[in-house]
Order: sequence, then structure tokens, then C-alpha cells
Amino acid sequence: MIADLLSNFWVLLAVKVLIVAALIPVAGLVVGFAELKLSAKMQSRVGPYFAGGRWGWAQLLADGIKFFQKEDIVPENADRPVFKIAPALVLMGAVALWVVIPWGPGLVFRDLDVGIFYALAISSISTIGVLMAGWASANKYSLIGGLRAAGQLIAYELPLVLAVVGVVIMAGTMSLEGIVRAQAGWFGEGGPGLPFVIPQFVGFVIFMIAALAELTRIPFDMPIAESELVMGYLTEYSGFRFLFFFLAEFSNMFALSAIAATAFLGGYWMPGLTESQLTFAGPLILVAKVMVLVFLMIWFRWTFPRLREDQLQTLAWKWLIPIALVNIVATGILKVVI
Amino acid sequence: MSIDHDTLRHLSEVSVAVELETPEMTLNIGPQHPSTHGVLRLVAKVDGERCYDVQPVIGYMHRGYEKLSEVRTYPQITTIINRIDWVSGYANEIPFIVAAERLMELEVPERAQYIRLILTEMARIASHLVFNASYPLELGAATPLFFALRERERVLDLLEGVTGGRFHPNFNRIGGVKPAYGAGSQTRKLAQDLPKGFLAETRQAMDRVLEVCDELEDLVAGNEIILARTKGIGTIPPEVAAAYGVSGPNLRASGVRFDLRKVEDYLPYDRFDWEVPVGENGDCWDRWWVRLQEIRQSAKIIQQAIDSIPSGPLQAKVPKVIKVPKGETYVRAENPKGEMGYYLISEGGLGPYRLKIRSASFSNISILPWLLEGVLVPDIIAIMGSLDFVLGDVDR
Amino acid sequence: MTTSPSDTATPTPDPLADYAAQVAEAVGGEVVPAKATVKVKVPTDRWVEALTIARDELGLVFFSWLSAVDWSNQVEVGDPPEEEVEERIELLCTVADISDGRRVTFSTDLDHDQPVVDSLIDVYPGADWHERETWEMFGVDFVGHPNLVHLYLPERFIGNPLRKSFPLLSREVKPWPGKVDVEGMPEEEEQESPTTENPGR
Repeated sequence: MIADLLSNFWVLLAVKVLIVAALIPVAGLVVGFAELKLSAKMQSRVGPYFAGGRWGWAQLLADGIKFFQKEDIVPENADRPVFKIAPALVLMGAVALWVVIPWGPGLVFRDLDVGIFYALAISSISTIGVLMAGWASANKYSLIGGLRAAGQLIAYELPLVLAVVGVVIMAGTMSLEGIVRAQAGWFGEGGPGLPFVIPQFVGFVIFMIAALAELTRIPFDMPIAESELVMGYLTEYSGFRFLFFFLAEFSNMFALSAIAATAFLGGYWMPGLTESQLTFAGPLILVAKVMVLVFLMIWFRWTFPRLREDQLQTLAWKWLIPIALVNIVATGILKVVI
Repeated sequence: MSIDHDTLRHLSEVSVAVELETPEMTLNIGPQHPSTHGVLRLVAKVDGERCYDVQPVIGYMHRGYEKLSEVRTYPQITTIINRIDWVSGYANEIPFIVAAERLMELEVPERAQYIRLILTEMARIASHLVFNASYPLELGAATPLFFALRERERVLDLLEGVTGGRFHPNFNRIGGVKPAYGAGSQTRKLAQDLPKGFLAETRQAMDRVLEVCDELEDLVAGNEIILARTKGIGTIPPEVAAAYGVSGPNLRASGVRFDLRKVEDYLPYDRFDWEVPVGENGDCWDRWWVRLQEIRQSAKIIQQAIDSIPSGPLQAKVPKVIKVPKGETYVRAENPKGEMGYYLISEGGLGPYRLKIRSASFSNISILPWLLEGVLVPDIIAIMGSLDFVLGDVDR
Repeated sequence: MTTSPSDTATPTPDPLADYAAQVAEAVGGEVVPAKATVKVKVPTDRWVEALTIARDELGLVFFSWLSAVDWSNQVEVGDPPEEEVEERIELLCTVADISDGRRVTFSTDLDHDQPVVDSLIDVYPGADWHERETWEMFGVDFVGHPNLVHLYLPERFIGNPLRKSFPLLSREVKPWPGKVDVEGMPEEEEQESPTTENPGR
């Protein structure tokens, strides 16, 4: 009965959409809560404490409800439609990323052949939303923030893609599912396998740096830069539109970490587990790996100050891109030699 | 064929002329802005990220203290001058009180002078810790804030224990310091001196302050991005600094070994062994570094003062109603923000005839138009923050 | 070292007085007595020249502050001068060095109703804001100042608040209740209590 229903394309689609729609806020909440508590720990604070009774676990839920209760203010001179669409577009980019993340053998919403490039391409949509938000707000701080975001996108899209090329060369496929299988079966079926972070360590580092820039998180948060641009492109947003941006940031953080975990850390795979075990344990393994990467991002966020716009561009064009190119060449040679 | 240099230069000018022209934009930073330390307003003309003209607009917090002090008695004035630089309120009182005492030719008891000195240095530590908290935050690093403010709270608690006020102690009296608590003259006994255990706790607190200095140094000085954001940014040559009246740590960061605590003797600083830290280049980094070192030196001074604080009365003999004899004097002191001075003109009345308040931040930020010409927008914030001003000290 | 409180009590030969005489001679002014402070009065037409000499020859490169005093026998607020004074605006400017701690306060007398003086902005660029402040607070016109506009007060403010003729509005509405300090000072015998031990330990 259920199997019959699921075989219908539209029913299956609806179920998948529902799952994604349910997972994204949850992932956002988990990452957001991790950020609250970890930052508190790093700064010798307690962090949220009262909401929900224990550890303040309901803090972000309460925040979310608060945001929904707030007035949705649109500035008088704003470009109204664009101003209103922008947060949705940002969130859309975050949602679309989830499509290709494999959670276990066969547990994927859609296993695209060009999976990893789809993911990287779709993740840039958020930046267009940011640019729209910056432009439509009719605020100079927002405009500068939006333009900075655009400049950042152009600069960091390149190292992000180039860093992944090494992985693609090694795996011989662009499907994320295929990349996981390539890592699991590197030393033959049933062998110990090889997470690509070991041969592709340089690529991994570049990917993480570029992902931070893509997420506009410290040390690359110039588009927001509270101390300079008040709140950058977010300056004029309030209420649930502001919440959308927030949710998108955290869910993007989760999704990009999931891509990184899949491409470099073996995704849902763990040595010693059989295919059927992985079907159940896979999602947990992936989430564990993702949380490690999320922890890294939070750690950076609360340790580093932000770079200046020109230093950011220097880092991308003079360091990351050349190193990524060299890495590709080296990977190619390695592949031929092996 | 050869092309001479003039032609080359001409060619390069041509290529500049065909560049895409972008219109300038006036960016209004403040008076409400996260990093203008209150209500400073900057009108910046920017071309993209580059700003080529900045005009500070002040006066949003002008309270007219010079006029108000003309209608108040001397003891009443200390309450309002506390509010000039509220981050180190205690230190503001000293030069005014000393000015009045000089005109009255009062000899302040040793113990009172030591207490003044200890509390002034504690105010300096508190002020510099606020700078150490806020400056990395302005560069985007949030964590040093908590390290610094935690320690500052310890210092302020001690300050509060003696004076009853965290920010506005209003503790000095002409001729000495106010006994710690108990207002009525009947109950004023031994207990109204420093609170019990204050000196021992202060000594411990200073040890903690020295530790947190190390922590801050690890956290900030070892951070490549902070170095990249501050080294070589906002350089002030010593001549320019002096001509604009930039004083205090900002002047010392430019390599001038000049500290009013060494050359003026409003408090007995010459009895202690301490150094004047100076910077090398006068950039944002040096200004941060000098302040951090000053915290260490102040902690050192306090510990020495605790060791050698004499016993004795807290107050010189003063008449019940204080009248300052006719005369004029200028007393300046090394405040955490720089040179703070009071030009006091007395006509023998209950209050001054004229009190000119020379506050450090006012002169320190008057250099901003010169300093901010041609910098990038993020550097405006980095430079402004490194000058460590307080708007109450600018506007008075 | 400039002075200490103990110096002021004993009228022994004062190094400060010697220095004051030196400065006065160098700039062509006269020494005005002031406690623990070198104060030199110069004629108004020698104002900029005197400060230039101070900067170039005396090494007083640090511009500390510039302001004025309204000497007036008719006052709206505060107490009038003890005895009749010559009505004038006295311009004060303190400059210092940044090595030995020498400082000199220069002064010059300006006309009470139409105070005019040359701007110091070419000698000390830091004089910019100080002159703007003095202009708006006392109405002193600084010839040669490029941007004599309000610094603290709103653009359309009328009047010079620090002049003695400018009333303090809140005092007009309600007289100052705290004119006399009500807190008594400690009695003599209670002063001597903490002598044997050191409280606070």
C-alpha cells in the first residue's frame, strides 16, 4: 500500500519536499543552538539558560516565534517586490542544496550525475538574493554590503569549484553518491577505504576557506560587518524576513558542511559497516561529520576578526586559486601514476 | 624607437581618463552607529570603498559643563566632571581637585595621595580594558571582549567598594579623599578608611589583570588577521600628533616617550618604579600595544603603592565652606585617554569664575579629518576605534 | 618637573619664574602671575608671531588648548569678580613640549564687544576645533580660519553661551537650591584616628 503510493512520482515528490521542509528548520536550529552554546563556552559565558527549562534548548524556537510576531517593515523608498523576494531567494538556495546530499546508500533525494557541480552552482543563488536585498533596501550600508557580497561570490566561487576538481578527478565521477562509493572502495571492495581528505588535504582546506567566504561568516563577513556597515544587507530587514536570512545562513552552513563531508570525509560511509547497516547508520554518521565541520566554522567565527575587502580579494586571487590549480595538476599526475 | 618618460606619463594619464567614472556617495556614519562610541557623526565622501573626505560632526552630547561649573560650588563641581569621561570617571576628578588645592595652598595627607593614586591607576586599567574589549570587536573578533570585561568588572567592584560608585565615584574632596562610607560626622572613625581587605584584594586583582593581559596578548597579538588589519594603518607621525594636540597613549604610540605622570607631580608617581611604553610607528597596532603595556605598568604601580601606603589622616584641615582664594592655575594630568587639564580662574568666590576643561578625546579626534583622508571604509572604523575616545570627553 | 604643592607654599627662588621670564623675553610679552603655571601676556597683534616663536624656538610643539575668559563686571550667572575689572575678552592658549614637561599659557586681551584676532591654524593645525569652539562660545572672530561654523551648538543658535552676559535658562526658571554646600567637613579630633595601623589590609 505505502510502496504503491510511493511509486507514484507526485506522491514521492511531495514526501521528499515535506522531509526537506521539515529537516531544514531542524538543521538550522541545531546549528544555531550549537553556535550559541559553543560561543558561550569559548567566551566563558553560560549562554542561553532559561528557555525550555534545560540548557535553554528552546531559545531559538522562542526567538523564531518572536520574529514572527514582529512587524514586517519595508522602507519607504525600497524596491518593494525585490525587497520582499530576496529573503525567499536566499532560503531557496539553501533548500536546493539539500537535494543532492546522500544520507546513506540510495538515501538521497535526487542523485544527479553532476551532483557536486549542481550543489556548488545552486549555493551561489543565495548571493544573488543578498545582492538583491542590498540593492532593494534603498540604504547605503545595505548597498555596500550587497556589493561586497557580490565581489566575494565572484572571488570565492572559483577556489570552491577548483578545490573540488581534485576530488572529482580522484573519484572519476561528479555524483556525490559516486564520490562516497569511490572513497569507500578505494582499496577494493571491503577494504579500509580512503577519505579524500588525506590525498586532497590542500583541496579540503581551500574548500573550507571558500565555503566560509560563501557563507559570509567571520573572517569573511564583510557583507554584514556590524561594526562598519551596521548590519550590511540585513540593515533594513525585520521580522520573519530577517528570520529567513538567519535560517538560510544556518541551513547553508549545514548543507555546505555536508557537501564537504561527503566530498572529503567519506560522507555517510564509515569503515567496517556493511551496506545495510549504513542505510540506518548513514544519516547519523553524516550528521556527526557535519557537526565536526560546523564546530570548526563556529570556532573560526569566535576566534578571528574580519578581513578587509581588499585582503579578502588578495587571499582569493593570489593564494587560493593558484594553489588550487597546482593541486589539480598534482592530482592529475597522481592519478596517472597510480 | 624610444619613448621618453614624459610621453609615458602622458599615456598613463590617458588610460586613467577613459576609466569608468563612478559618482561619489556621501556616507553618513552615525550619530547612531555601532562603532562610533556614542553619538559621534562622520560625514564621509566615499568612492566605492575608498573615502577621500571625512568631516566629524560633534556636539550631540554637549552638556555645557564649563558654563555649569560657573554656577556651582567647588565640591559640587566634582560630581559633574565625573561625567566627562565616564569610562574612567575617577581620573577626571584629580586634576580639578589638585587645581583647587594648589590655589588654596593645601598640603594633602600622604595617605590620601596614595589612595588617589591607586584609584586613578585602577580607573586607567578599567578604561584600557574597555578599549581592549571594544577594539577587537570593531575589527570583528568578539571573544576578547569577554576576557577584558570580566577583569574590568573585578576592578570596578573594588573601586565601588571604596567609593560607592562604579562609574562616577565622586570620591575626592578638596584636601583629601572622602572617607569610605558613613555620611554623618559622628560615626566617622577608623572604619571609614579603606574597606577591610581592600588592599589584599586589590593585589590579587592586579595579579589577575596581569594574567588577562597575557591572555589578551595571546588572543590578539598572535592573530594574523588582526595584524593585517592594524599594522601600518592610520599612522600618525609624532610632529603631526603634537600639532593637533593628540596626547596620551596615542602620542606615545607614535614613539614619543612622554608621560605627564613622569613630568608633572600631581600625584606621587616618582616614588615608584615603572616605565613608559612607547610604540614604533604610530599605527593602530602600536596604539593597541601601548595600551596593553600601560595596563601592566599600572598594575605594577598599584602593587608598589599597596606595599608602601602610609598610615595617617585622609583629609587636610579645610574650612567648612570652601572658598578658593583669588588666582589662576592650570593643572594637567595623564588620564587614560590623554592629557586632561583644568584651567581654573578663581575670584575668591564659592565657585570658579571660569573653568576651562581641556579634555583629551576632543583633541585626539580633531585629527580625524587629516587621518582618514584616502582610507578604506573598514579602516575608518579600525582607525577611529584605535584612538579610544569617549563622546562625553569630546563634547563635555 | 614644573611644580609641586610644596613648592607653592615656600617662596624660594622658583625655576618656573626664570623660565617664565625667558619665554616672555623671547616672545616679547610680559609675565602674568599664575600659580604653578607660566603665563605670558602678549599684545594682540603679536599673537600669531608669539606662538610661532614658541613653536619654533622654544620647542613648544604640543598644542594643548585654546579658549577665552569673559572678564565682565555685570554677570548673569555665577559670582562677579572680587573687584572691578577692565572689561575684556582674554584669549588663552596653552602649548607645551613633549619631552621635559614645560608648558606655557599665552594670553592676550581682546576688545569686549568686537573681539578679533588672527587664527593660529597655520601654526598649530589643532587650533581648528578650539577656535571654532571659542568663536561660538565667546564670539571671538578668528581672522584666517577657513571654517568658522558651529561646533557644538545647532547651526541657527544665537548668542555666545560662555559669555557672562548669557543667562542660564534653568536658573532663570528656578534658583539653584544647592548654592551653599550643606555637608559639613570632618571634625578635628576625628582626623587623627587611623594613625597606628594601616586599615584596608
